[in-house]
Amino acid sequence: MSILLIILVVGGLFVFTLYNSLIGKKNQVENVFASIDAILKKRYDLVPNLVSTVKTYMEHEKSTLTEITELRAKAVSGNLSSDEKVDLDNKISKMIGGIMVAVENYPDLKANQNFLQLQASLNEIEEQISAARRAYNAAVTDYNNATEMVPTNIIASMLNFKRKQVFEIGEAERKNINVGNLFKK
Amino acid sequence: MKTLSELRNYYNTTLLPELRVLEAQRKKALNKILIAALVIIPLAIILAFIMNDVVFPGIVAFGFLVGITAFVSKKYVSNFKTEIIGKIVTSVEKNLIYSKRNRVAKTLFMASQIFKHRIDVYKGDDHVRGKLGKTNSEFSEIHAQYVTRDSKGRRNHHTIFKGLFFIADFSKHFKGKTFILPDKAERFLGGLGAMFQSWNKTRGQLIKLEDPEFEKYFVVYGSDQIEARYILSTSLMKRIVDFKKKTGKSIYFSFIATKIFVAIPYRRNLFEPRIFRTILDFTPIQQYFEDLQLAVGIVDDLNLNTRIWGKQ
Repeated sequence: MSILLIILVVGGLFVFTLYNSLIGKKNQVENVFASIDAILKKRYDLVPNLVSTVKTYMEHEKSTLTEITELRAKAVSGNLSSDEKVDLDNKISKMIGGIMVAVENYPDLKANQNFLQLQASLNEIEEQISAARRAYNAAVTDYNNATEMVPTNIIASMLNFKRKQVFEIGEAERKNINVGNLFKK
Repeated sequence: MKTLSELRNYYNTTLLPELRVLEAQRKKALNKILIAALVIIPLAIILAFIMNDVVFPGIVAFGFLVGITAFVSKKYVSNFKTEIIGKIVTSVEKNLIYSKRNRVAKTLFMASQIFKHRIDVYKGDDHVRGKLGKTNSEFSEIHAQYVTRDSKGRRNHHTIFKGLFFIADFSKHFKGKTFILPDKAERFLGGLGAMFQSWNKTRGQLIKLEDPEFEKYFVVYGSDQIEARYILSTSLMKRIVDFKKKTGKSIYFSFIATKIFVAIPYRRNLFEPRIFRTILDFTPIQQYFEDLQLAVGIVDDLNLNTRIWGKQ
């Protein structure tokens, strides 16, 4: 009788531990995703500064600058699904990249103190975004392993936990950015 | 001065005249040691016969000889460090300041939090500091120990760390703590080792990184998953692996308070002159140079001079 009780208690504890570790992993994924959002917002905050700094110098890229301002407004307005967020972010990344390349044609701008500071901040944020994406992928991998490996997979299937997607570079991003096209409007 | 051929040139033109003077001092000191040995060893043998014991006279004689060696060669060692090591340091990088008696401050060593054991004895010498490119750095030889007493009340010294301790300004801003430690568990136990590591919460969360080669050599703990990856970019992981391979040692890193701390264990004493063999030889000079290059090279090896992330 007592042996049965011990088995039940130990078994119960084991199940609790598995359950908790699974929930912990799921929350870790959400937690890191929220941090990505926070860092993206930091970048959106820099966009108006960037536009106002380069505007006076860049004669030929006016339309790109208006477009990036519009995209940014959309990004910070809220009420977006995750997919839309990722999509917008990709577009904005590409445009910022394009602007940074176009700067090469404006030696005065390249020497502008304001601009140099902005560039450093953008680099910093870019590196943080990449770090956050890697952290997200690590958390997702951890979570996916738990949902598919014995014994946590049994609990995962009971709770209907599904595999999550890792961040991947989109088809468009894998191709080299064509800066000429970016500014042809 | 960066290459070995430049060093050879420098050795022939500048160091050799100095070394000749020092060699005379070394011979003088060595003669005194030999005379002392000629007195002490027969005395010890006589004592051994009288006491009918070899161990005690042996230990006493050895202790005396070590003490006398240290005493008579003190001036020679000091001169050697000023004239030779000091010159090699400034020839490698003229901004560097060498101080033979100084060491990395104990507070800084402890601030790195790499070694958590209580420190009872903290020694070190051959301190080098200065700006390497844009990066403020310092390093020295450090020997940190803790002391225990056995049942008979004898003091036993245990080494916590002995080797080269390096500190530099890191190129990115960060707030938390990140530790890179040699990975012992995972190499021997595989996945099971990784599981044990995730239970170790004394240094924060286990951070699993995506570079398999890096993960083979190191285990990373940190206070923040994202920040640890911000510090450890894919390129820095690669650079750390290359550095590890270059030195062939188990290296410890920590990133705290915008600084990078690197601890490289050595068995031998660094930057110490020879007493029992001639110093008119290029080999030891090359050794000092390479030890120094290794430390100074950390800045380039880990790309600490790239300041594009908003930190000057």
